[in-house]
Amino acid sequence: MSASADEPVLAMAGIEKSFPGVRALKHVSLELRPGEVVGLVGENGAGKSTLMKILSGVYQPDAGEIRLGGRATRFASAADANRQGVGMVFQEQSLLLNLTVGENIYLGTEAQFTRLGLVDWRALYASATRQLAKVQVDVDPRTRAAALDFATRQMVELAKALTLEEHASGHLVILLDEPTSVLERPEIEILFQRVRALKARASFIFVSHRLSEVLELSDRIYVMKDGAVVAELQAAEADVKTLHRLMVGRGLQAEYYREPLQKPFGADVVLELDGLGRGDAYRDVSFKLHAGEILGIAGVLGSGREELTRTLAGLRPHDRGRLIVGGREVRLSTPADAVDVDLGYVPRERRVEGLVLFLSVAANITLPSLKQLARRALIDLGEEQRLAKTWVERLKVRTPGVDALCLNLSGGNQQKVVLAKWLNAKARILILDHPTRGLDVGAKEEVYELVRAATGEGVAVILTSDTLEETIGLSHTVIVMRDGVVTYRTPASPGAKPNQVDLIGHMV
Amino acid sequence: MRAPIGRLEFDRIRQWMPIVTLVLLIALVGAFQPGFLEPETLLQLASDTAVLFVLATGVTFVIMIGGIDLSIQSMASLASVIVALTVSRWGYAAFAFAIAAGILAGFLSGVAHVRLKVPSFIATLAMGGVLFSAALVLSRERSITLQTSERDYQTWITGALLGVPNVIVIALVVLAVAHTIQSRTRFGRYSAAIGAGEPAAYASGVKVDRQKIIALVLSGTCAALAGVILAGRLASGSPTLASELLLPSIAAVVVGGTAITGGVGSIWRTLIGALIISVVRIGMTFVGVDIFAQNIVFGAVLIIAVAVTIDRSKIPIVK
Repeated sequence: MSASADEPVLAMAGIEKSFPGVRALKHVSLELRPGEVVGLVGENGAGKSTLMKILSGVYQPDAGEIRLGGRATRFASAADANRQGVGMVFQEQSLLLNLTVGENIYLGTEAQFTRLGLVDWRALYASATRQLAKVQVDVDPRTRAAALDFATRQMVELAKALTLEEHASGHLVILLDEPTSVLERPEIEILFQRVRALKARASFIFVSHRLSEVLELSDRIYVMKDGAVVAELQAAEADVKTLHRLMVGRGLQAEYYREPLQKPFGADVVLELDGLGRGDAYRDVSFKLHAGEILGIAGVLGSGREELTRTLAGLRPHDRGRLIVGGREVRLSTPADAVDVDLGYVPRERRVEGLVLFLSVAANITLPSLKQLARRALIDLGEEQRLAKTWVERLKVRTPGVDALCLNLSGGNQQKVVLAKWLNAKARILILDHPTRGLDVGAKEEVYELVRAATGEGVAVILTSDTLEETIGLSHTVIVMRDGVVTYRTPASPGAKPNQVDLIGHMV
Repeated sequence: MRAPIGRLEFDRIRQWMPIVTLVLLIALVGAFQPGFLEPETLLQLASDTAVLFVLATGVTFVIMIGGIDLSIQSMASLASVIVALTVSRWGYAAFAFAIAAGILAGFLSGVAHVRLKVPSFIATLAMGGVLFSAALVLSRERSITLQTSERDYQTWITGALLGVPNVIVIALVVLAVAHTIQSRTRFGRYSAAIGAGEPAAYASGVKVDRQKIIALVLSGTCAALAGVILAGRLASGSPTLASELLLPSIAAVVVGGTAITGGVGSIWRTLIGALIISVVRIGMTFVGVDIFAQNIVFGAVLIIAVAVTIDRSKIPIVK
């Protein structure tokens, strides 16, 4: 097939998809033209993922038509979609870290290099090298994926998607599902540059929560809301505010980060780091955290801020310097040590480390502080219910009840349960590790409000965040880390917030 | 996202499946063998279930945290040997020795499991071998029959209270204590949390290693108690006394509806499971299945029960 310039590579028309109790897609139509990058935005639950799963063959639509290169088709499975030239780059990186780059690129399609049941590795790696060249990645395909940084891994995923062009007849369609969520700004630049360079070979659908990035990379943008496409606009004519308003049906409020609620923090030092260091990860980190203060740590991957966060959570103990919590020098060898000194960790992997999904809301809320509910070795179940109900009400957790499994709650409500857990344990310091990751705008605002309320009562917060904007918006104080050391420190009072460009200068 | 309705319905049905199965089985066997429903026969059934239930209760604690204890039948046999060897000289203290051996074995398996980071099935498989050999060596590979004078010490097991055999009373006490531990103590809650989501439990400050050791200690203790009861009922101690009980015990736990992957389960379910296994055993005897062939059935039952109790939509990969 040879697509003319304005004939769409991919056209979806009137796509419908329902699940029991929810109509996930309502008559969705979407077109993708050759060499185009189309942005797809919407809040969580707007239907983006469902649409992507239909395109990648995971779900079958209930109604509607998919045309690929002008020909009606259907995708019976992910492998079938691949065969027809639709590839995916997932948000959660899907490389197998124990395999080499080359093995990853041809995972499941090694047959082409196989003679008499044996893989011709030389041919496979030679071919992998050519694939890597397409995305301008200069690594030996015999390197294990684990040895690559996140950005390079993302490029390898892209290279893997591009192998489809050797078998599919037409122009490739590549779905980029939140490809930037684990990348830092400089890495994102590189990814975008490579995507633009590949426009001659493929068309892209770019799904992201980060509206500014969607505006930056896309030619055209579809906005989804409640399972339907509510707007289609040229990127050049759109801005973040417009997109945001279309997505949520209301404007971006000036007080998004609840800045008016940002109160000056107290004088009590609750946490002090004095020349703290761990291996090669970070060194000579010193700062003081006060009651009621939110201290944001900015930095790219490898800056050491992630490891520092894990140290404070009791997951990666420090080996140099002093860590003083509530006036006492401590070493946090396990999370239990951290809980003992009233530190509460809100992890980025909410569903893995944040909550026991198969336990009830009540059991999760009381998990770190169960000791306080023990009456002569037995848990006071009545008191537990009462406490859990109080928190569910105070934090407005939307759940059928305190006995419902956390598994069935939405991301925002799950995060509220994680916060309730630490507030109930009377944590004096909260370690917020990417606290709004994967949440939609409304849920984010609720989390901001809760964090503000907690700090208003004297809880101190260490924040590492997905976006610089959030770090700046929420924090009283921002420190910047680079290559394991603190390179910059600035107050961030309401009305006198530092600007992103200045901070980036200290990050890279 | 809302959970699909169908799955919720099935979850609700799944919960009641074990008890419905038990009632149907009893009715079925009763229909073929009306004598089965006589109070006396039912009491006999309960007595015969006691040992299996105590063994299964111990291993329930370990399965709840997502582990397994394969050493229980060897531990029970060793306990019977210890009782048989020491009761003439030490009297009631013999039972304490046996229980202490169970505690120690469980503790050692637990330490090997958490400190050396050996999977529980390997640690307890190895421990089972050690215990079996210890029983062989101690008993000089013989079955030791209790003398008449020694049997006086066994009346707390062999006697009856108001017409109810003592083994049933012991099993009920085990049920009450184990149920309380599992549903009301911090250990019980922590073990459910570990079984359902260990990383989150750990990050919440739960001392995961300690709970795992406690679970294996409870399992060893229950196994030793089961061995003690068995020695009393059979009036002997032997290194193979409890052989062939490992499979039915694990089958009882799983048939009762406790997930082999951990996190979901209860002692009540294990009781139902143990009764199901007992009824099936008796039913097979009525039908005339060779006693040595019965583990063929239990093996099949175990596989089917695991397949039915795991909700595969939640667990994509099983190793």
